[in-house]
Formats: sequence, structure tokens, C-alpha cells
Amino acid sequence: MANFDELLKKIQNEEIKQTPKWQFDLMNISSIAFFLLFVVIGAISFSIILFSIQQTDFELLSHMGHSKLEAFLSILPFIWLVLLVAFVLGSIYALYKSKKGYKFTFTKLIGFSVGLSVLFGTMFFIGGGAGWFENAFALRAGFYESIQNKKEKIWQNPDKGNIAGYIQNTNGHIIELKDFDGKLWEIDIDTAFIPPSVFLEKGEKIKVSGKIISDNKFNAEGLYPWGGKGMRNKMRRKMKRQRQKKD
Amino acid sequence: MYISEEICKSLDDKEIISRSLENMGYFRCVYLRYEKSLKRYIFKISNFSNDEADDILQNAFLNIWKNLNSYDNSMKLSSFIYRIVHNETISRWRKTNADHSLKEAIINSHSEEEPQEEINKSKYIQNILNKMPQKYKEILVLKFLENMDYEEISNILKIPEGTVATRINRAKKSFVKISKI
Repeated sequence: MANFDELLKKIQNEEIKQTPKWQFDLMNISSIAFFLLFVVIGAISFSIILFSIQQTDFELLSHMGHSKLEAFLSILPFIWLVLLVAFVLGSIYALYKSKKGYKFTFTKLIGFSVGLSVLFGTMFFIGGGAGWFENAFALRAGFYESIQNKKEKIWQNPDKGNIAGYIQNTNGHIIELKDFDGKLWEIDIDTAFIPPSVFLEKGEKIKVSGKIISDNKFNAEGLYPWGGKGMRNKMRRKMKRQRQKKD
Repeated sequence: MYISEEICKSLDDKEIISRSLENMGYFRCVYLRYEKSLKRYIFKISNFSNDEADDILQNAFLNIWKNLNSYDNSMKLSSFIYRIVHNETISRWRKTNADHSLKEAIINSHSEEEPQEEINKSKYIQNILNKMPQKYKEILVLKFLENMDYEEISNILKIPEGTVATRINRAKKSFVKISKI
């Protein structure tokens, strides 16, 4: 027992104190809190990636000679991809460092972290939070170019047959469109494909594919809705109006 | 306050911990209960000398004392204690990168009363263990020499129980392979 007596003496002489319970509790709570925080940030990043996929006009852009991957990469803000990877890794680490984290296999750690980020991210995206958040972020972060801005740049390209903007006037088969630079275009839609989701109303934001004829004249081959928030409600209202007309 | 061996024997692990938190004297019970088996464990997973093992044990008990509040009642006390001793031994092993002779380690791990046949068998096993990678060596020691179950080993080494099972299997194969050389 000589060794225990030495140990006792050392503890007493050096006044070695036990680490208080609250410190261990705080560490445990912190790792769970960090795990949840990282999952939430990962989820937001994932929802914005989903939003950018939604905003990529895969079919239209591939018709214009771009591959689907090229179209997606042209619109995806890489910062969200980097943040998604970083915070998923962070959440894996935080979960592993939690009190019982070592009980999980590596597959389970990845599964929980990725699964929760994907689940919450999808819910946030479906709830419309992704577009709102991305927009709010773009307004506050000067260095960041929003998905909408990138999309506008892709569609502000009349020489390559893309144009987009707000309808100013409609007059038979001619519509007047103000593009994102404020320039007015006369667009001939006589032979254009116009899906039911396009509303030929003043103030409507649309995309047009076709050919430039002169400095401010454009011959449309197809008209498409700009897409995004509010599209479903608009479609519902349009269908309701059509039903009322029939009745 | 001096706590006698009789009092210590009458207490279970959880009672010893809760009393140690209030009265330092009861910490002697932890020492009495685990000192021998822990020292044996240090010898089995390392080649430290007797003095070094004592030193490791002192530091480990100091850490056990400091971290007594982190003890989780859902875990066996032995798992909690072995984890700290294991970490202390491995940490010291890495620091000193000790090159201790096998002979010394074997001498340390056997008492004079042990029959010669048993000593020879132990020497043979220890010789093979010493040739194995550390992660295989320690898991075999915990499973077959300390007779611990998967959950206890998982808590000591801080690895999932599934990994414990896989590692034991690999360690057994490694043991057989080395024994045939």
C-alpha cells in the first residue's frame, strides 16, 4: 500500500482537485450542440444545391449545345458544395467525439450525419427556404454571386439565342420585353412554342429562346417561365380561371 | 480517513465511486481492488520494467482521481479504469519508444510460486504477443487474458463492438500465423 499512500500524499500536497462534473457535462452537451449546428448548416447547403438544380434548365441548355453537367456547374455556387462537405465532415467528427460516439461504426457516423443533412435540407428546400436563404445571403455577402444572377447571365445572351426579362406589352404576336440590362426588345412569338405555364401578362418574368434579327428584334422559337418561387400558385390560379371560363 | 480492507470488500463498484467523490479515503478501495490486475495488464501490453509500471500506475490512478466525475454509471467501473490505464500505458510507450527486453517483461509478469510449466506456457504466449502489432496484442490480452466481454473492450479501447469482433478475429489469425513461424 506504499504506492497508495504516496498517491494520497501527492494529491493532498499538490492540492489536486477533481475535475468538476459540470465540465464533463458541458463537453458532452457541446459536442451534441456542434453536431446539430453542423447538421443544420450542412442541411442549408444541401437545400441550396437542390435549389440550384431546380433552377438549372437542363433540357433547354442542353438544346443550346451545353452538356447537363456543364449547365449545372455553370449555375452551382461552389461555396455551398464546399460548405456541405466541410460541415458534414464536422458533424461526423462532433458525433464521434460525443460521449458514446465511439460506439458508432464509421458507416453509421456517415449515415447519421449525411442522412440528417439530406433530410432537413430537403424539407427546407420543399418549404421554400432555400431560395429565400440564398437570396438573403447574396444581399449581405458582396463577394457572392447568387444563383439568380448566374441564371440571368446565362439567359442574357441574345447573340447565342437566349434572352430573358419582364413582359412590358403584348400586342398580337408581338411582345415587348425589357431585359435585365433595361433594354427593350420586340419579340415575334408567332411561331413560338408557348407552354401553358407561360403567362403572357405585363410584368411576367420569362425566358425566350430563338434568333436575333436586328439590334432590338428577336424571333422567338420558345417561351418559358422564369421558374422558381410562386410558379405553382400561378399555375393553380391560371387553371382556375380557365375552368371558370368554361363554366 | 483510513478505510479498511474489510469495509472496501463490503462495497460494490458504484458505492465506492460515489463515496470516493465525497470522501477521498474511499479511493483506497479502488486502488486495493484494481492495483494488481492493472499492473499485470500494463506488463502484458508493454515491456515496461517494474518501476516504470508502478510509475504508470501512479499517474493512471491520479488521472482516475481527477476524472472520477466523468464516470458513467452505465459502464462497468473496470472499463473506466482500464481505459485510463490503457491510455496512460500507450501514451508512455509512444513517448519513450521503449526498447525493453522481453526477458525483463517476462520476469515481471510471473510470480515465484507459479509452476514451471505454466511459466513456460506464459513465456511462449507472451513471446508471440510481443511480435504482434500493438492493436492486435492489446485486444487479445483484454479478451483472453483479462477475460473481458465485447462491451467492456469496446468501452476501454473506445471502438465499436463490431470492430472489437473483427479485430479479435484478425488478431487470432495473426497469432496463429506468428506461432507457426
